[in-house]
Amino acid sequence: VAPTWTDRTSPAMGTYTYTYTSRPRPPPCQRRRYRDSLLQPAEEPIRYGNIMYDRRVIRGNTYALQMAPLLFDFDLEVKPMLEVLVGKTIEQSLLEVMEEEELANLQASQYAYEELRNVELAEVQRLEEQERRHQEEKERRKQQQWEVVHKHNETAQKIAAQVFAQRYLADLLPSVFDSLRDGGYFYDPVQRDIEIGFLPWLMNEVDKTMEYSMVGRAVLDMLIREVVDKRLMMYEHKEDERLSFRPGDRLSGPGAVRDPLVGPEIQGQSTSQSQGPPPDRESLPPLDGRYLEKLSSQERRLLEEEEDEQREMRKSSGKEEPSQ
Amino acid sequence: MASAQISMYLPPDVNPSQAAIAYGCRALPKLNKELQSEDLLTRQKALMALCDLVHDPEHVYVAIDIGCLESLKALLKDTNDMVRLKTTEVLYIMATHNVGREGFLKYDVIHALSYLLHDPQAACRENLHLAYKHLAQVPSGAQGIVNSGLIPALVWKLQREEENIQELLLDTLAACLMEDATEALDSRLVPFLKEKLLSANNNIRSKAARTLVAISIPLEGKKQIWQYDVIPILVHLLKDKVKEVQANAAGALMYATVTTEGKYAALDAEAITPLLGLLFSPLSKARLNAIKALTMLAEAPEGRRFLQAHVPNFRALEKDDNEAVRRAALVAIKVVEWKP
Repeated sequence: VAPTWTDRTSPAMGTYTYTYTSRPRPPPCQRRRYRDSLLQPAEEPIRYGNIMYDRRVIRGNTYALQMAPLLFDFDLEVKPMLEVLVGKTIEQSLLEVMEEEELANLQASQYAYEELRNVELAEVQRLEEQERRHQEEKERRKQQQWEVVHKHNETAQKIAAQVFAQRYLADLLPSVFDSLRDGGYFYDPVQRDIEIGFLPWLMNEVDKTMEYSMVGRAVLDMLIREVVDKRLMMYEHKEDERLSFRPGDRLSGPGAVRDPLVGPEIQGQSTSQSQGPPPDRESLPPLDGRYLEKLSSQERRLLEEEEDEQREMRKSSGKEEPSQ
Repeated sequence: MASAQISMYLPPDVNPSQAAIAYGCRALPKLNKELQSEDLLTRQKALMALCDLVHDPEHVYVAIDIGCLESLKALLKDTNDMVRLKTTEVLYIMATHNVGREGFLKYDVIHALSYLLHDPQAACRENLHLAYKHLAQVPSGAQGIVNSGLIPALVWKLQREEENIQELLLDTLAACLMEDATEALDSRLVPFLKEKLLSANNNIRSKAARTLVAISIPLEGKKQIWQYDVIPILVHLLKDKVKEVQANAAGALMYATVTTEGKYAALDAEAITPLLGLLFSPLSKARLNAIKALTMLAEAPEGRRFLQAHVPNFRALEKDDNEAVRRAALVAIKVVEWKP
């Protein structure tokens, strides 16, 4: 099919224009550009109608084969084009369908895997949970046991402590009482009373009595001393007189002189009680009645006893009287 | 007869909306360059062409290799709706392939995508969530989503989106929670899921139950489930018409009854009877989950007493086809017949 030129210069028209910008160009070609068309020379441009309705297109319309002018065989021409079109479409759709199928397969296998995974995971979690529960239970039981044992221990200890304390204190009680008793905190009131009240008084009284007798003895001693002193003075006085008169009556003199000697001696003697025993050797057998009335009966008795003693002593040492 | 002459005309444009795809290995680099052009039309046409090409994993690999993701990330912030829509579509198709997912993680596409969470176009958001969902199918992808801190935003979106997007969100969340559930638990996901369990849509119920399964794996999740009284609803769902919902509800119960409080809450809500009914369900998942849930309940003395009468059911399951079901039945019998 010969193309139609669209530019201004056309060798068919035989005109071409040169402008000042025209480049050197060979003269228009004298020969034809294309070989002769097989059908017919291009004398006039061929008008085409709609490819679907144009009778000159052979589309299975065999009658048109005989008709001229033929354009082209639709069935033949369309094959390659159709092949390309259909091929592309099918390729594309195959791709898409395969893609979807692949996706569906993936999805299905994923779901299956997910199922199994879920089941396994659930099993694992269940076992974990069970384990945890068992552990908790064991812990709790251990705790309980420990508490029981602990309480047991505590109770045993408490009992032991109690028993020990009892034993200890049981011993303590008698010892406490003993020590208290030793400390004198328990006393018989009557006894104590006697001890505190009666006995001191008794001792007091005994003391007093002893004192009385001592005092009496002392007084008696004083008396005796006085008497003896007086007698001595009287005797010395009388001795002097007698010596001046009768110096030979010395032996009986002491026996007879004694009576008058006693009287003035006792009157003269005041405080010579301390010289009791030694000057009393020459004691006076016959005491004057007046002096005996002044003493108590007891003293009289005591004096009498003393007189007896001294009389005997005097007899043994009679002559030393005047030297004293 | 066709002539051997080469036509002076360019070949007719079969699809004017798509850019012309160059031949062979020149296709993708050319498209990449066109993506970065200033002209809107060029960009759009390039995107349409790219959409068709990325169905082929080889092309995805090459595209990521030459750095298409950078241009696509830039296009995400484009003002034109059509551009954004097509970009998200390309990204979601890429995410269905594993190379695409790895490329996402490497080039931090998650963060760039998160800017479109509030996009006014619903289709755009749908594509976005599809991309996230496919990304979350892989553990590393799910970890990437969790690490980027998107979970609270996704949970928040869950209440405000339409139903089909909610389904996608639930799927995404279920996969992410299998990895790490702490953030979700902090953002009060359990009460939302509780509402969703009662929705009319079957898909939403089953997916919500599946998300609950994921969330009840950590101890904190179990505590929250018991705290928010989700267990009676789960027991109610055991009698649901849809098998998938039953299976997922049994799974959630299985995890929730690991704790002692969960066990007693389930016993109070009369969970044993429906679970026994599930033992003969056609879905193997339902049977497995039911057996496991009954095993948990048999740990409690009251449950054990009740289940001792039903040991023959477990014996029948011992001859099941599925290996896991057989093993689970054995374990269940052992637990039921245990004496302290």
